[in-house]
Amino acid sequence: MKLIHPPTGAVATVRAVPVALPGATARRDESRERMTVRSVDAVRADLEEVFRRDYQPVVAVAARVLGSRDQAEDVAQEVFLSFSRSTVPAAEARGWLAVAAAHTALNLIRSGRRRASREETAFAAQHDVVSDVAETVVTREERSRVRAALALLPRKQAVALVLRHSGLSYAEVAAALDMSPGSVGTTVRRAESALREELTRHASSD
Amino acid sequence: MRHPTEGVLRRLIDEPAGVSDPDRRHVADCAQCLSALAATRADAVAVGAALQPAAGSDADVPAAWQRLNAALPTAAPAAAAFTPARPARGPRARGLLRRPAVAVAAAALVLAGAGTAAANDWLPIFRTEQIAPVSLTAADLVSLPDLSAYGDLEVSGEPDLREVPDAAAATSATGLDLPQVAFLPDGVVGRPEFQVGDQVSATFTYSAARAAQAASEAGETAPPSPPGLDGSQVRMVAGPGVAQVWSSSSGLPALVVGTAVAPTAFSSGVPFETLRDHLLSLPGIPAELAAQLRTFTADGATLPLPVPGDEVETSTADVGGVQATVLASRDQSMAAVVWVEDGVVTAVAGSLGTDELLSVARELR
Repeated sequence: MKLIHPPTGAVATVRAVPVALPGATARRDESRERMTVRSVDAVRADLEEVFRRDYQPVVAVAARVLGSRDQAEDVAQEVFLSFSRSTVPAAEARGWLAVAAAHTALNLIRSGRRRASREETAFAAQHDVVSDVAETVVTREERSRVRAALALLPRKQAVALVLRHSGLSYAEVAAALDMSPGSVGTTVRRAESALREELTRHASSD
Repeated sequence: MRHPTEGVLRRLIDEPAGVSDPDRRHVADCAQCLSALAATRADAVAVGAALQPAAGSDADVPAAWQRLNAALPTAAPAAAAFTPARPARGPRARGLLRRPAVAVAAAALVLAGAGTAAANDWLPIFRTEQIAPVSLTAADLVSLPDLSAYGDLEVSGEPDLREVPDAAAATSATGLDLPQVAFLPDGVVGRPEFQVGDQVSATFTYSAARAAQAASEAGETAPPSPPGLDGSQVRMVAGPGVAQVWSSSSGLPALVVGTAVAPTAFSSGVPFETLRDHLLSLPGIPAELAAQLRTFTADGATLPLPVPGDEVETSTADVGGVQATVLASRDQSMAAVVWVEDGVVTAVAGSLGTDELLSVARELR
């Protein structure tokens, strides 16, 4: 059984493209190897520290997309599980987590699997019309329309918008999305413009 | 002075300090910009209000931390139930499966050539144009001999598999255009890791003595080698390749999009069909597999993709006008879509349904 020890052409090819040659079996082994490699130090040492520091902000990002804190907490759990096995440098953790939370939450909406949560229903029952500090009146239907439209925006626009409205600075959004700080404003502006159109279009047709 | 961009106006609302003094002064004195600024602010406020989440109490961080800990696979033993269910298979069984599968892949490359190469130089005898699955049972895999039993397989190019930071680095390392994933399926998050491998090549030299020995170890007698076959060579080249790997929360690759220059085989002047037919006749290769390989090699362009028949179901589907092979494990844990176009193999695989993978595959740009 010498073949397995020195890398052979076939083995090498398989590893270079984990899925190209021997099909599901080898791919599964690849994945197991990856998991094994990581399970030695599977849970990063700084996980608890980062979790305690960033859990609330991550929930807030997901909640902005989903409108529901219950579901946002589910998303945050998934995101931190990914993070626990990642090698993302601690200094970039906050941005990475925020981006992952936004993507995961947007995917939930896009997949149509999002359900109206009990808190959302209760909230809607009490406040069918909500005024915010700027006295902008937003109905429940408008909220769900905007969220549906958000999930259909180009992904970078949607994530930049959510991150910005979750309180990340322009520099933080730029770093998290690998953009220039100068382009963050343009990206956010385009997203807002598209969503506002969505709001206006329905308002005028009501 | 020209008007500041809409991006500058947008930033002026959130972070005035981030906008240059000339831009700020311009806006303050420009009716057109002030009007645009007001519209921008109105949009920002309206969208911000619409995205405001339902009011609720703050998250219970200690409880959330406990929940996360319970889901971590390497946490206390009690957490084991939360680790993703995988087929129960020990390391030994995996090794057994893995090795013969690799050997089969190598054998398939060697055997997949067609036509007779009569010249003295290396001649292309096989170029991947299609992929077709070859079903094997687990028993076949375990009993299938390594190709190394029949000669020397010498690697003359190492893949040097490594991670690179981004798509641009992957392209510059391999010269391949990376397929862009238009959208990530549900549950796949974050940015991918980029793994690249260089071109690999390997030369297989047939040894009649080794083949005879392998046969006798298996309690059988190898058929006599045709004249001139001993020492004949076949060279295989594949790669370079790039894999974009998104990890899931379980740590398994949730989605892998791989691209590689498709395998090609060259002969050094061996009557290739002779070598192929002889290898196929050697004891240890199941008759059924041998027959399938012969079929697949008829056009010299179809790469057999060996799959364990009892674990993986195969079908075909159209991806952008090209026929793709779709593989799905029977336990629904993994699936893959593989196709070849213009000499490049592309594979989309992951712990997702075939429908989701096909959507990703069809929307690659």
